[in-house]
Amino acid sequence: MAKKAVCLLFMLLFLAACGSSPASREHSADFFAMDTYMSIRAWGAEEGLLPRAEQLVYRLESELSVTRDDSVIAVLNRSGSALLPDDVIPLFETALNLCEDTGGALDISVYPILQAWGFTAEEYRVPSETELASLLESVNYRQIAFDPATGEVSVPDGCELDLGSVAKGYTADLITALLRDNGVTSALLDLGGNIQAIGTKPDGSSWRVAVQDPAGQGYLGVVNVADSAVVTSGGYERFFTDESGNTWWHIIDPATGYPAHSGLLSVTVIGKSGVICDGLSTALFVMGRDKSESYWREHRDFEMILMTEEGRLIITDGISDSFTPAEGMTAEVISG
Amino acid sequence: MIRTRTWVIIIAAAAVVFALLSIWMLSAKQSGTIAEVIQDGVILREIDLSLVTREYSFTVEAPDGGFNIIRVQPGRICVSEADCPDLICVHQGWLNNQGSPIVCLPHRLMIRLKEVTAVDAVSH
Repeated sequence: MAKKAVCLLFMLLFLAACGSSPASREHSADFFAMDTYMSIRAWGAEEGLLPRAEQLVYRLESELSVTRDDSVIAVLNRSGSALLPDDVIPLFETALNLCEDTGGALDISVYPILQAWGFTAEEYRVPSETELASLLESVNYRQIAFDPATGEVSVPDGCELDLGSVAKGYTADLITALLRDNGVTSALLDLGGNIQAIGTKPDGSSWRVAVQDPAGQGYLGVVNVADSAVVTSGGYERFFTDESGNTWWHIIDPATGYPAHSGLLSVTVIGKSGVICDGLSTALFVMGRDKSESYWREHRDFEMILMTEEGRLIITDGISDSFTPAEGMTAEVISG
Repeated sequence: MIRTRTWVIIIAAAAVVFALLSIWMLSAKQSGTIAEVIQDGVILREIDLSLVTREYSFTVEAPDGGFNIIRVQPGRICVSEADCPDLICVHQGWLNNQGSPIVCLPHRLMIRLKEVTAVDAVSH
């Protein structure tokens, strides 16, 4: 009898020592790429899958980086024409469609203006109005000739492109596809603050994604998501203050050449596609509150969180149940 | 017979101790105050900010020869000084239990909380 009890206790102890099964084991990768910090956490991935995801990011970076002399984008900007590799063609096509669909609020040809303000080299300056006016003549995504079938792209003299506003979102989409194709049903990607969730957490509950408060240290609130991208754009991410005390940030209004002052401090877009959320968060920041609301009503295939300069927090009704504002904040819900 | 009974008692006691220990470890893990100092994906230090009683600083050397001086106070941590060109890490100020991680891109350094309170990620 006593011996049986001893055996039983031993068995219980051994059972307690058994952790989770290998299938649900967490793998993670943390690395620097695309000028930012990236982290991937995945459950149920095979050994070696996350290093492949990391390599995928480095490959895209080498193709897309505007500051690397040998990238296809740098070649295009230098010589006026280039042949896009197969994995960049869908990105280019989506980016151009977004430029058109947002009425030019997103414009991938705004790069010369960003350079003039010093945002590319981090040597900030305020360009003169005449300088901006002359640069603006070559800012227009409609001048880009692109054949999606072959990947051939060409731009006129003076026109330079930068896919920085959509590259991280597209990268997240490709990582998501790679992980899914290899059986991962639960993962969370953080590509420099661009969040993308695959499935739910391993325990079946939603991912809790906080949205940075653009005016402070904390959060605007927390949104519960599954199978979604959550991308935020705001002036607070990169800016400088000139000698007269004016603050200039890195999101340029392609219509004026000046940093966009639309009354918004940040825009968060939640949707299925990382690349669309990425491009839209920039475009809606440029559009401002009213135009963003109309755009959302016309499309209804994404949700958004807007923070205005007056401190008003506005969310769309599709996330009214899944968004919890931070303490002391109230969210106004807009509906269709 | 007596020896067997003694063993039962010892193992039962051990089981109780293990159970209490795991409860304590699990609850401690959720406190959300452990800061990780990470360079190029490698964790250099883990600091339980809730156990810090007096201020101290330490220097992290970057692969390019540069440095970041990290200041630790009870419940919070920051980069107090660095020789990177943009000083974004220094301007970011204190990292407490809210907010996005402190990142110094030129030096590939990051300071983040191990378990950010009840949040899985921060969109910024």
